[in-house]
Amino acid sequence: MTAEFRLRQAWTIARLQLRRVFFSKRSSWVYLLALFPSVPFFGHAIEVKLSQSRYASRVTAAAILESIREGDTDEEVLKTAGEPVHERKFRRGPRGEASVEYRNLIYFDGERRWFLHFEAGILQNKRSRPLIDFEDDRKVFAGVFQYFYLRLAVFFGCLGIFMNLFRGEILDKTLHFWFLAPARREVLLAGKYLAGLIAATLIFATGAALSFGLMLWPQDAVELSAFWRAQGPEHLFWYATAAAAGCVGYGSLFLAAGLLVRNPVVPAIVILFWEGINGILPAALQKFSVLYYVQSLAPIPPPMDANAPALIQLLMSPADPPSTVAAVCGLLAVTALVLWIASRSVQRIEINYGTD
Amino acid sequence: MAVYKRGYTRYQGALTGHWARFFVLPRFAWRRLLEQRLVVILLVAATFWPLLCAGFIYVSNHADLLLGFDQKMSAFLRIDSRFFVIFMNAQSVFAILLSAFAGPSLIAPDLANGALSLYFSRPISRVEYVLARLLVLLGMLSLVTWVPGVLLFFMQSAMAGWSWFASNWQLGVGVFFGFLLWILLVSLVAMASSAYVRWRIVAGALVLGVFFVLAGAAELTNAVLRVEWASAFNPGRAMNQIWCAMLGADPIPGPNATFCFIVVSIMAALLLFVLNRKLRPVEVVS
Amino acid sequence: MSAPEIVFQEVSKFYGEVLGVNHVTLRIPSGITSLVGPNGSGKTTLMNLMAGLIHPDRGVITVRGLSPRDPERLMRITGYATQYDAAPRGVTGLDFVTTGLLLAGHGKQEASRRAWKSLERVGMNEAAHRKVAAYSKGMRQRVRLAVALAHDPEVLILDEPLNGLDPLVRAETIALFHEFAAQGRHVVLSSHVLQEVDVISDRVILIANGMIIAEGHVRGVREEIHEHPSQYIIRCRDASRIAALLFEQDHITQVQVHEDRLGLLVATRNQREFSRALTRISLAGHTVESVVAADENVDALYKYLIGGGR
Repeated sequence: MTAEFRLRQAWTIARLQLRRVFFSKRSSWVYLLALFPSVPFFGHAIEVKLSQSRYASRVTAAAILESIREGDTDEEVLKTAGEPVHERKFRRGPRGEASVEYRNLIYFDGERRWFLHFEAGILQNKRSRPLIDFEDDRKVFAGVFQYFYLRLAVFFGCLGIFMNLFRGEILDKTLHFWFLAPARREVLLAGKYLAGLIAATLIFATGAALSFGLMLWPQDAVELSAFWRAQGPEHLFWYATAAAAGCVGYGSLFLAAGLLVRNPVVPAIVILFWEGINGILPAALQKFSVLYYVQSLAPIPPPMDANAPALIQLLMSPADPPSTVAAVCGLLAVTALVLWIASRSVQRIEINYGTD
Repeated sequence: MAVYKRGYTRYQGALTGHWARFFVLPRFAWRRLLEQRLVVILLVAATFWPLLCAGFIYVSNHADLLLGFDQKMSAFLRIDSRFFVIFMNAQSVFAILLSAFAGPSLIAPDLANGALSLYFSRPISRVEYVLARLLVLLGMLSLVTWVPGVLLFFMQSAMAGWSWFASNWQLGVGVFFGFLLWILLVSLVAMASSAYVRWRIVAGALVLGVFFVLAGAAELTNAVLRVEWASAFNPGRAMNQIWCAMLGADPIPGPNATFCFIVVSIMAALLLFVLNRKLRPVEVVS
Repeated sequence: MSAPEIVFQEVSKFYGEVLGVNHVTLRIPSGITSLVGPNGSGKTTLMNLMAGLIHPDRGVITVRGLSPRDPERLMRITGYATQYDAAPRGVTGLDFVTTGLLLAGHGKQEASRRAWKSLERVGMNEAAHRKVAAYSKGMRQRVRLAVALAHDPEVLILDEPLNGLDPLVRAETIALFHEFAAQGRHVVLSSHVLQEVDVISDRVILIANGMIIAEGHVRGVREEIHEHPSQYIIRCRDASRIAALLFEQDHITQVQVHEDRLGLLVATRNQREFSRALTRISLAGHTVESVVAADENVDALYKYLIGGGR
């Protein structure tokens, strides 16, 4: 049998498996994971678009809003700045005591929203925020990509897809069907891994690209066009590549785990924990994780989680990120090693369906 | 051919009581669970934090040991609602892990092997079946949640004296009911997952996925929409807020305890709906 | 050219501490060979070993000269209908068979043509587009057979292939086995329906507790066991008199006269002497209408060989 024949055979196996990965009911939650980040980004875009159209008729000059000082009364503010775009009044106070009237006013100067907070008719607090901030949104996307997409969505998605390739067949009592095909076990492994990889990459790279697109949608046209001319396409490419790289790494790990361990939840927890504490490990140990290579491919470094406990923030000492070439080579080397271990295991595996 | 008439006579002997029959399911399940190495390892691992906390209580109640510490350190060593909320947060993780390993083996095998019709043909109703399975998890998770929590509370009461107990009794009550609420939610997630996917192993992964992914999704929503309400959909965070309210601790940033409680109740109702849909004695092959 | 035999040399297989098969040495020539044994005796283990689904702890197996550790070549000449009832989720019968052929390297059109042909052979072409999950037990059995047959293998391994089949399909399936065997191929099957095996097989392999206890042609195996008395039913006019004459022979161990006094059940340790004695009795003027072997079927043989094993 020639290498070409085996490659064709692996491709046949991949094609057969692909249909199952893409169209099975079991994969629906993987789509959900991949597409979920698009939902809040879509919601954000809609909110911005609606606000822009709603506020368009009631723009107040920025100079007027800047002239308002804490201590001004609400009546004075209304007289100076005119009708706000949004107003809310409520009374609150401790039981048995007289309640205080609170009033929140929102103004729009064409770019920023101004939030004015009054207590008993006196301005207590004034702050402003741009209706949409491209820089901030890109940072938020970087955080979402690093903390949700790579660490959770790709992780659990790959867990579902790649564990299913062998362990799922064992649980379904259908693995013998593949073993009775005239194909070497390594070819079967390669075909199944390829199928999982194509499916996971397509699903997650598309999901990342979709979220990225939805993040860009409501941005200012001028800023957006400048972004597209500069780093835009590059950012999109590297986000999609990082998602794909995550699938390459986690896919091989979970494929091997599905072959080596009866209950893959145990290695999943161990890997989740290991990848989770990646940032606080010594630099040398950080290199033994998928995340180390994958996150350095993302175009914007992850922002520090503001909600993380102070101790964790103190311990966080990210190792120097590898160069892109080193990251890709490192990831491929780790993947090749894991797949080699998996191929040794698949040759030894026997059909002896248990009671799972 | 001779045909012999045989009259059927039903069993005339004594029957066990209704409750004895009800406890058959949990009794055997507990025994089976304790035979699982992973469950035992987790149970043992879950005692480390309570033991540390016990040590902490001991140190904080020995004024002579505290001599020389500044006021800041003394405040740190105070046993109050904050101490119990931190304790509950740590133990709640063990409850999730334990339910991910122990929970799915309760229902998934019954569904996969078509055993439900067998159970329901006995005098066990669907509700009793669910309650019996819930009881298994309740017993198991209690060992790592409210039991050590209440023991710590009594230990502190014994060391700090009657006056401390009298002014802090609501902490003990809060620990007990707060953990019961958590056990209920975690158990429902484990049972619904195992009823939904039918594979023991996949159900375990799903239990973990529900808690981790929901937490991530909630924070993601907060970050993108610049809001705080989505934290209520993170079960751990929502429960933390509820515990703060129950124990009288300072609330954490985010939606208030009432909103969190409403969201958690809706989650529980959805999980019960899944159980109701999936636990049927008949199966339709599509 | 590959050797036309399936060879087991000192093969042992353990599942942890549980014995699968022990010190099995066998040479299975082409034709229909039945593996017979009680549940858990090691029949499926032997079949799985042949197909490479499990590997021996000790010993060597070759299937027509090929090692089961080389599925790339072995499965090109082997079709195995396992006992596992599951099929991949959501597939139709046609998909199920076609997928196997695609994996074997056939092009789409050729795979489809062969799949239809194979489904037709097992009488499943009308249900080809229905999902396997919705098939009856017998239909699933037949579609598994179709998968095993589809690539026209030289070695057909069938685990309990007649289970769940109705009598008509059963007869057709047996005819199919005979057709295969007549072409010089191997058909290795296992069955609990011992009478069927008796009829189908060119040879049987009796297995109990993971060990081969007898192998060969049903009749041959039977003859080799001299200690086991053979039983014959004789229909005759004067049963009492013939019974008395037979009892005079040393090799006769038991004679029972039928209630109607027109029949005898005779047990003998020496078939040849029994045959001579019966000839002498006939020549002496006693009317013997028929002589039928009462226990020359696998069931009886099996009961004798493994005692209360079943």
